[in-house]
Amino acid sequence: MAKQCDRLIDYFNNQLTEREREAFEIHLGECASCQEELAELEELTMDLPFGVDAVEPPEDMKDRVLSNVKNVNQVKDNAQSSDTTTKVTDIKDKKDMPPLKKKKSWYKPLIVATLTLSLVGNGVALIYLNQEEKPESTAPSEPEQEEVSLDTLSQKHALQPSEGVSAQATALMIEQNNHVNLVVQAEDLPPLSGEEAYQVWVLEDGTPYRAGTFISSEDGTGAVSYVMDYDKEYNFDTIAITKEPNANSQQPQGDILLSSPL
Amino acid sequence: MREEDVDLFNRVQAQDEAALEQLYDRYERILYSFSFRVTNNKFLAEEAVQDVFTKIWTKQRNFDEKKGKFSSWLLTMARNTCIDLLRKRKETPYEFEERDSIQSKEPTPEDQVEWKERGEEMQSALKELPKEQQEIIELFYFKGMSQSAISKTCDIPLGTVKGRVRLSLKHLKGILTKKRERGVYEDG
Ligand SMILES: [Zn+2]
Repeated sequence: MAKQCDRLIDYFNNQLTEREREAFEIHLGECASCQEELAELEELTMDLPFGVDAVEPPEDMKDRVLSNVKNVNQVKDNAQSSDTTTKVTDIKDKKDMPPLKKKKSWYKPLIVATLTLSLVGNGVALIYLNQEEKPESTAPSEPEQEEVSLDTLSQKHALQPSEGVSAQATALMIEQNNHVNLVVQAEDLPPLSGEEAYQVWVLEDGTPYRAGTFISSEDGTGAVSYVMDYDKEYNFDTIAITKEPNANSQQPQGDILLSSPL
Repeated sequence: MREEDVDLFNRVQAQDEAALEQLYDRYERILYSFSFRVTNNKFLAEEAVQDVFTKIWTKQRNFDEKKGKFSSWLLTMARNTCIDLLRKRKETPYEFEERDSIQSKEPTPEDQVEWKERGEEMQSALKELPKEQQEIIELFYFKGMSQSAISKTCDIPLGTVKGRVRLSLKHLKGILTKKRERGVYEDG
């Protein structure tokens, strides 16, 4: 079993695939020396985090994080209700529609959440994808949404699926601190197997540049935030998503699933 | 008196918003500073902090007192999240740099007693290690690199990585133990 014992470091560092990890954990249950070494690593590294220098968190981080954390439950509820109601108009008629006050309180943080690229699992992605339905569903009877500052929000694109593909995705390009952050959120993605990953590309005259890698969850949703920090200025004209054999493709190998002109 | 972490944690799991905020205030800076050290990116660091609190709030993770300190458990969770986030990003070649030259120092806040006590000792112990051992600990622990990435970066055979990691960590512990013993004598 020497081969499994050699995986201890990668197990500790969360570098194994799910299958490898499961196999290692079975081994761990039977191998006294791995158990001992793992306990030793845990003990020896326990105090290391305290050796880092203090870094001041961004001023508004607390508000963002706490509201996003508390909103997780509401996102779940929201996602469930939109799963069971296929049409947007149905939501309007639902009796258990949250009152306006509640809606406002999650509507605003969700913009902030998107701007700060906080993607917790797929929670924020779900909020975002549902966002457009919300105002519409309540617009006829209720006052305008509270003004939300969108001055850093530069562009939003809906990606179109290629023929025979049913997936959907949006791309949000946000200018922040002289960087462009690209946030891609997708749903109804076909499942991945093994090492496969979804890759976002931005193209200039047909030349692709990597712009974020992600994997989808069981329900076919996935999201990635990517700081577009390239070595020179480009005039990207297209954004596209492909399925790649692994997360390291430097050139697209899979067909384009979704794309949009920029 | 300061409420125990475990009690706060239990209240958070019961969806107590005040407890969530208290726990957040208590650990924001160490979690953020540590996550920033691992990811070297403020967006990812914030995402990691948010992920940790989301996992607690939604009861995806359970803390077992028998398995050690709450703070260590929290920081391990943050580290795993950071490694995940880094893996999802494009690979950027890593260069070993001396920390002090690239990081602006902020004074450790006075109220973070545990951090202050354990941190000063740790920082000076790390500096006493030979450069190669500092680098191994940096790549293994703070960058969470895979065994093969460490082997390539340090240009050492794959089979020797684990041994070197353990040796470096044990050496560090030896230095720390000596410091603590000396500390006890000086105080006494
Ligand atoms: Zn073993």
